[in-house]
Amino acid sequence: MELFTPEFGLVFWMFVAFLGLYFILSKFAWPFIIKSMDERAELIDKGVAYAQEAKKQLDNAKAEADKLVAEARGQQADILRDATKMRNQIIEDARGEAAVEAKKVAEAAQLSIEQSRRESEKQLRQEVSVIALQIAEKVLRTRISDDSAQQELVEKYLNEVESKN
Amino acid sequence: MKKVITALVAVVVLALMVWGYTDAAHHREEAAGHSENVEAGQQAGDEGKKLDIDVKGIIFDHLGDCYGWEVPFSHSKRIPLPIIVKGQDGWHVFSSSHVTGGDTFEGFKIAKEGDHHGKVVEVLADGTEVRPLDFSITKNACGIFISAIVVLIIVFSLKRWYARNGMKAPRGFKGAIELVVDFVYGDTIKPIMGKDAPKYGPYLLTVFFFILTMNLLGLIVIFPGGANLTGNIAVTMVLAVMTFLITNFTGTKHYWLEVLWPDVPLALKCPVPLMPLIEVLGLFTKPIALMIRLFANMMSGHMVVIVFVMLIFIFTELFNVFAGAGTSVLSLVLSLFMLVLDTLVSFIQAYVFTILSTMFIHMAHVHEEHEA
Repeated sequence: MELFTPEFGLVFWMFVAFLGLYFILSKFAWPFIIKSMDERAELIDKGVAYAQEAKKQLDNAKAEADKLVAEARGQQADILRDATKMRNQIIEDARGEAAVEAKKVAEAAQLSIEQSRRESEKQLRQEVSVIALQIAEKVLRTRISDDSAQQELVEKYLNEVESKN
Repeated sequence: MKKVITALVAVVVLALMVWGYTDAAHHREEAAGHSENVEAGQQAGDEGKKLDIDVKGIIFDHLGDCYGWEVPFSHSKRIPLPIIVKGQDGWHVFSSSHVTGGDTFEGFKIAKEGDHHGKVVEVLADGTEVRPLDFSITKNACGIFISAIVVLIIVFSLKRWYARNGMKAPRGFKGAIELVVDFVYGDTIKPIMGKDAPKYGPYLLTVFFFILTMNLLGLIVIFPGGANLTGNIAVTMVLAVMTFLITNFTGTKHYWLEVLWPDVPLALKCPVPLMPLIEVLGLFTKPIALMIRLFANMMSGHMVVIVFVMLIFIFTELFNVFAGAGTSVLSLVLSLFMLVLDTLVSFIQAYVFTILSTMFIHMAHVHEEHEA
């Protein structure tokens, strides 16, 4: 049958067309296309690998940062606690020192008061004896002549004054 | 707007059909006188109604090759193609329009009957018809060149994209082509052939795209398509021979050792070379299977579609125009289904041819270390 017998002319043209097509494509097109596709596939693979690596690094950096923050928080708390302690200590120390100083001042004051009291006592005694002598002089001038008993009385009173002080 | 265009097209087609029917009826009446004597001679004892249309002839005309390319809605007009023949007195080149009408030109005509039915024959002085050396650009030859050009355009458009855009992935049609290239090369040829893939990849990709383009062009009914290319045994034979040549000329020593001295008990190959004989036979059956598989698949697809369409005319002849019109709905639905199926078959057969060629070529490259 005609369908099953290859026609020579057609075989020839098919042969020509196919060989022509093959040589043109295999020389100018297929290697280039295959190379381009392979290169792109490689690029995409590399890109994905790079992105994964970058993500991993990013995750690591985040964890590191969190750790640093936590550490810093701890240090901050420590520092604050130390500072409070130190403040209390300083206040305490200051208080103690102030008390000691105050006591010293008070003692010094008491001492000087005592001293000045003694001095004024001494002075007063001298002044009183002077005054008493003057009074006695005046009394003597008026009444000395008559009464030695009265002199004795004056003496007695003077003693009394003295002992009273 | 779309609906209006669709309606217009439908009306035009219907009008043409009606015109065709009435025209045909006229012709039949006129030709009634002539055909009676012819038919009377042809069929003695033929019972029932004899069909006016030559169903088998039409089907085989459509499946076969011809000089000149048919145009829609005309039986006589053809796109002329060059006829190149070497007769008794040397080469002749002329347009097919000189002979498609049945005339004789420069001593050549298209045979109406006999062994060379439908082919250009040379009419010798004594009236005998002999077949000259025929290198005509027939419809199929022209279709082959159109397919080759389509493949070139498609592949080079993809290449140009890569040359211009570098690493950017192609979009649209080029993206689809790239997908197919990747499917055939990256997912089929490369895994099978391994390091040999870059060497034979271009051949196999060319085969795949050429067959696919020819298959799909064959499904388009008007001019650039419509030639039953891969359903023609000459075309598939050339492709199969190519694979055969590559397989056997690039085969390794080990491959020939396996063919001529296979690893079987000595009794099977020594006194009577039974196994080597089978292996050598196998060398030829493999490409022949490739040839027949593609040819038969594509031809049967075309044939079924044509038969469904012919049903319309058979029913019109047997009954009347209305029966034919009713059949046409069913026929068109079935034809459409077959064409859609053929689109799938086009791809599958191109792929099967490629993958089998890949495996045959790869099997010829056995090395010692591959031995199980």
